[in-house]
Amino acid sequence: MKQVVVHPEKCVGCMQCTVACAVAHSSSRTLYAALLEEPLPRSRIHIGSTRFGRGFPNRCRHCDPAPCMRACLPGAIYRVSEYGTVLVDPDKCINCASCAMACPFGVIRYHEDAWAQPGKTVAVKCDNCLSRQLRGLIPACVEACKSGALGFEEMDRAQRRKTDAVSDTVWSTSGVVLPAAGSIGFELLHAQKKAMVEMAQTSRA
Amino acid sequence: MNSLRNYDSYSIAQDTRLMLKRAEQESVETVWDRHERQSPHCGFCEMGLSCRICVMGPCRIDPFGEGPQQGVCGADADIIVARNLGRMIAAGAAAHSDHGRDLVEVLEKVAEGKAPGYSIQDANKLRLVAAEYGIEALEREPLAIAKDLAFAMQEDYGTRKKCLQLVDRAPSQRRALWENLGITPRGIDRETSEMMHRTHMGVDNDWVSLLLHGLRNALSDGWGGSMIATDVSDILYGTPMPAFSQVNMGVLKEDMVNILVHGHNPVVSETILQACASPELIALAKEKGAAGINLAGLCCTGNELLMRHGVPMAGNHLCTELALTTGAVEMMIVDYQCIMPAISKVAACFHTKMISTSDKAKFPGMVHREFHPENALELAHGLVREAVENFARRIPERVYIPVEPIPMMAGFSIEAIVKALGGSVTPLIDAIKSGAIRGAVGIVGCNNPKIKQDHGHVTLAKRLIENDILVVDTGCAAVASAKAGLKVPEAAVMAGAGLRSVCQSLGIPPVLHFGSCVDNVRILNLAAALANTLGVDISDLPIAGAAPEWYSEKAVSIGAYFVASGVFTVLGPMPPITGSLNVVKLLTEGLNGVVGAAFAVEPDPEKAAILIKEHIDAKRKALGLGV
Repeated sequence: MKQVVVHPEKCVGCMQCTVACAVAHSSSRTLYAALLEEPLPRSRIHIGSTRFGRGFPNRCRHCDPAPCMRACLPGAIYRVSEYGTVLVDPDKCINCASCAMACPFGVIRYHEDAWAQPGKTVAVKCDNCLSRQLRGLIPACVEACKSGALGFEEMDRAQRRKTDAVSDTVWSTSGVVLPAAGSIGFELLHAQKKAMVEMAQTSRA
Repeated sequence: MNSLRNYDSYSIAQDTRLMLKRAEQESVETVWDRHERQSPHCGFCEMGLSCRICVMGPCRIDPFGEGPQQGVCGADADIIVARNLGRMIAAGAAAHSDHGRDLVEVLEKVAEGKAPGYSIQDANKLRLVAAEYGIEALEREPLAIAKDLAFAMQEDYGTRKKCLQLVDRAPSQRRALWENLGITPRGIDRETSEMMHRTHMGVDNDWVSLLLHGLRNALSDGWGGSMIATDVSDILYGTPMPAFSQVNMGVLKEDMVNILVHGHNPVVSETILQACASPELIALAKEKGAAGINLAGLCCTGNELLMRHGVPMAGNHLCTELALTTGAVEMMIVDYQCIMPAISKVAACFHTKMISTSDKAKFPGMVHREFHPENALELAHGLVREAVENFARRIPERVYIPVEPIPMMAGFSIEAIVKALGGSVTPLIDAIKSGAIRGAVGIVGCNNPKIKQDHGHVTLAKRLIENDILVVDTGCAAVASAKAGLKVPEAAVMAGAGLRSVCQSLGIPPVLHFGSCVDNVRILNLAAALANTLGVDISDLPIAGAAPEWYSEKAVSIGAYFVASGVFTVLGPMPPITGSLNVVKLLTEGLNGVVGAAFAVEPDPEKAAILIKEHIDAKRKALGLGV
């Protein structure tokens, strides 16, 4: 199951994900028409501002178990297991903000929404763009992100890639170098390693 | 190799479709590939809601209300959108006007005898324009007149005047309207410079007065910089007269040395054309095994040569990379404007040499040979010689010319039209009065990968001529309709009965090629002449403008000077203004009450045609003409 993976170090704070999210959750699903809608659609992803002005795209983590779901008295919050997604039923929501108290991430907002009864304030949060996923599209925030701060992939694969990157960083910053060609240590390496060392040295030359 | 892509959705032009497939096989990256990688575009910028003018920011206004509603300085959506639009107009006006300035410089050098390779080709037009500037033109040598005219035009660029000279061509009602609004253009450079000043943080923070100055800035282009560019080009290189030529990538020849000129300013391409006719260089080409030297154009510098000399056109803006992908081009010579910096990368896949020529436009991967009036002819000969010598490096197996060229007719200056009508615009007015021609529309502007190439231009032109509306076009739009076969007299059969009979009796196509993008002023001049003859304002005429596939800042300036001159104008792509409904309302409705015309935005050419027809019918009705 693919999930949205956040790489905060790559966020440039452009806020394109917020515009894309608002448009994806409008009735018209187009930028210009969305501006004319009543109520105005709003983003479910929120860019936090940090001490050094770096951005962080903060969105619902779809926790399991989900604190908000446990805190919801009318049972308006439920899970769609096959998509790993926690959703709010706007018709059952009573705008009591219990979920906000329980949410460790601060990603729930309370306002009118195109998907709720007109005039009713409800809890609104990221829905993993389920309606887009059902149409074979990836979440709107990921599609909009140009810097790689938001990815959409299997969590396992994302972690494996991160493992490789970390390993490479550790090796290349550790100061440990392979023995140079011609040294005794070098002679002890097997043929393939030798070839790799030689190639690395010639490419640096 | 079977392509996974449906190139039919990229363009309606057969040569583009085939060349895109070829580009994919050759791993040549095109503008469409890069456009795809840029999608989705930034919503803030699309709406005009991002501001990078000062370093307290950059700032964005959140259109959905959660985030900030003011920049750090306090500018709201209206101010930010108006400032951004103002700067777009300034850049467009600057581009056209700088182009005009370069021509005035050549005129001056010709007068001083310092520009071998250039001369006065239309002394009659020189006298007429000089007379407008109050310069004694009778009984004087053309070179002496040229010197005075160049000086007077240079004054139009400065600060000393209260009003540009050529504004006098506009109807008196229009001039009075501009005067009352305080938007009479005073100096060509002044208005652009003032726009940059007004949009600096903490200067003009009234979105209405910013937009009004935007109109004045655009007028300084339309009735100033661009008008000077066209008039001086006619004086130096000859006023266009109708002539037949050919268009599309099939104008490149497998057995000839192919040279492409790309850009906007005829200063360079005119001398290249002279060098291509040199018997010595043609002999050299034959010695190298080629049948001769073939010069073809792209974009507006191509249109300039086509209008005056019938030089064939290889394509418009989105064809520029693809023309090189044919592998048949020995050399491309560029000047400035609309030349994608990516283009040398394509040339690097082939034997093509890329040459930049302007002191103000250098490009990665090009050899720079700077043209000045003094050295242009000599340089041009050297370059053409290099191109001929490059013929030997061509790899015949990699040459792919996808289509046969399409015939076309071009060269419709106002002078040519008046001549065809027997010396005055009266027959045209009579045709409009009788309803044989219901009105006229200028289709102008670029290509834009957001719109299927040529579809906007061609569909709109077809619908309009079917409804007896005469189409005149310029720039990339003009090349699009030519590629679609609308620019031959036989195309009259595609027009309604009234327009058809007029075209057949004059032997002209129903879509008239008016020239390059600066030549949009020919449309202004024609509109002014019609209005003056009828004793009405331009905004009373049954005419309209359209830019169905525009992309550039220059097009924003053109659209703004058309509207400010009283011409209803329909844009295809949406300009970056939707972040301010106030600005949108003013430009699409409010301006009607201010300058008697406004903008509309309609990406679908079928719907745009209906909008325009309704507008023309309303104007006819108001003039008491049959609908």
